[in-house]
Amino acid sequence: MEKVLIVKNLTKKFKRVAVNQISFEVQKGNVYGLLGPNGSGKSTTFGMLLSTINPTSGEWYWFGEKGTTPKTLKKIGAIIEQPNFYPYLSAEKNLKIVAKIKGIPYSRIDEVLTLVGLLERKKDAFKTYSLGMKQRLAIASAMINNPQVLILDEPTNGLDPEGIIQIRELIAQIAQKGTTIIVASHLLDEIEKVCSHVIVLKNGNALYCGSVEGMTSSMGYFELKCENNDALINALQTMNLFKKIHIQNEVVIATIENDIAAAELNKKLAQSGIYLSMLQKKKESLESQFLELVKKQ
Amino acid sequence: MIRLLQLEWLKNLSYKPFKIFSVIYFTVLIALLFIGLVDFSIGNFTINLKEQGIYNFPQIWNFTTWIVGLFKIFLGCIIIFSICQEFTNRMFKQNTIDGLSRKEFIFSKLLTILIFTTFSTLFVLFVSLYLGYNYSEKTSFNLVTQEIYFIPNYFIKLFTFFTLLMFLSIVLRKSMFVFLGIFALWFLEQVFNVLEMKVFYSNYPNISNQELVEKVQNEFMWSKFLPLESTSGLIPNPMMRLQIAEMLGGKFSFQYPTFNLVASLLWTTLFILASYWILKKRDW
Repeated sequence: MEKVLIVKNLTKKFKRVAVNQISFEVQKGNVYGLLGPNGSGKSTTFGMLLSTINPTSGEWYWFGEKGTTPKTLKKIGAIIEQPNFYPYLSAEKNLKIVAKIKGIPYSRIDEVLTLVGLLERKKDAFKTYSLGMKQRLAIASAMINNPQVLILDEPTNGLDPEGIIQIRELIAQIAQKGTTIIVASHLLDEIEKVCSHVIVLKNGNALYCGSVEGMTSSMGYFELKCENNDALINALQTMNLFKKIHIQNEVVIATIENDIAAAELNKKLAQSGIYLSMLQKKKESLESQFLELVKKQ
Repeated sequence: MIRLLQLEWLKNLSYKPFKIFSVIYFTVLIALLFIGLVDFSIGNFTINLKEQGIYNFPQIWNFTTWIVGLFKIFLGCIIIFSICQEFTNRMFKQNTIDGLSRKEFIFSKLLTILIFTTFSTLFVLFVSLYLGYNYSEKTSFNLVTQEIYFIPNYFIKLFTFFTLLMFLSIVLRKSMFVFLGIFALWFLEQVFNVLEMKVFYSNYPNISNQELVEKVQNEFMWSKFLPLESTSGLIPNPMMRLQIAEMLGGKFSFQYPTFNLVASLLWTTLFILASYWILKKRDW
């Protein structure tokens, strides 16, 4: 697998340590979530990788080349913190500036504006835009050079539910084309919906980097229900397949220790005379996995 | 370079302060340069600057560049506002992320400064020629070119001043602070100047004012080489050259300000390098 970005022992000290010796790799074509609570060093990390912040120590490689040069940046599209544009200029003129900097023909402007649905408003000044439109224009601007990597820092910050859905769909659409995406957010269900891989940061340390599934060793849990829950619990306990069994809102929750298929479990329970009215095998949400991981450290 | 020019053009063309201050500047400039055609009455005393000889070659170069130089702050405002807004709108950061290097950023701002300075210099040059050929008592080639070096001096004076404004804008990032900064710098230079003069006076307790003025003019003094003072020395105050001043016994002596020229060029280099260094070192 081709590596788009390799980060080694990256550190930034302001008055305190903001990013501490983090290392991770980003593989081509995947959508990465950069997770972490507020102040965990997400934006600082992006800042260093995008050459706006000078690192204290450590190194990184974009497309195999050391550091970040203006040439590298022309292959990347990035949105940081909030959409930044000249407020007095129209969307079109703002994108002309970006196109000029990146060395892209003006013909791309209408294409990306169509992509984010802002073509009719292209002559209007940026300051007249709603927050959702500003955010979409930022995505258009980041997409103008057909980037190999798209970096999004809190792309849904401050948006209403409709805006969040629009942005999410846009990200999914871009990901389908094979663009590598790194998206930072503290909204976990947001990340869960779009990301295949995660990098977890806490207090400037990288706790985990890899696929979402591999984040915990957990195999998930069953949600079960029948006429007599006590008998069900007894039957489950004798199977030695579960590390924890408890009742929550009349539903028996059994956390798996040794994996078993749902059909197999159903069969076994029926053999011992228990007929289920509900059976569901579930994975822990990213949220609970994340909390588990963060708690451990 | 063309790319950076187009970039600055896009950024500035629709920018309100740019339009407003450009209009003000050129209106004021035209009004000022033709000021000599108007009669002023102070009490029952009428002064006509034209009759005082401000349009005469060669001193017309001194007059026009000095008068117009007073109003450089209007062009300076455009530079301050347009650079500060890059920081207050976080556009420097965004430009960097989009792939504009720090060098290109500085260079694009220098290009703007260069264009403003060139434009203003050419303007003064042509208006002075027009006024001189129309109103000067004599227009022999010798007289016309005798003090034409005030034009390149004017160019350097403006360029140095504007790079100072660029430097302050990059350091302070808020236009209000830049204005305060300029004022503070001017104030400190004056204080330094007065202190140095005081020390200087104490060396010559028994000396007439006339001699003192000449001594000060020729003496090496540190305060002459501070940024604002060294640029202002490039074009001395021409009021002593008015005929009325000559009648009152004022004597104008002037030597080509080589030291000021060197000092100005050093300052402008320093401002440009320091601006670049700050952009590089600071976290955005």
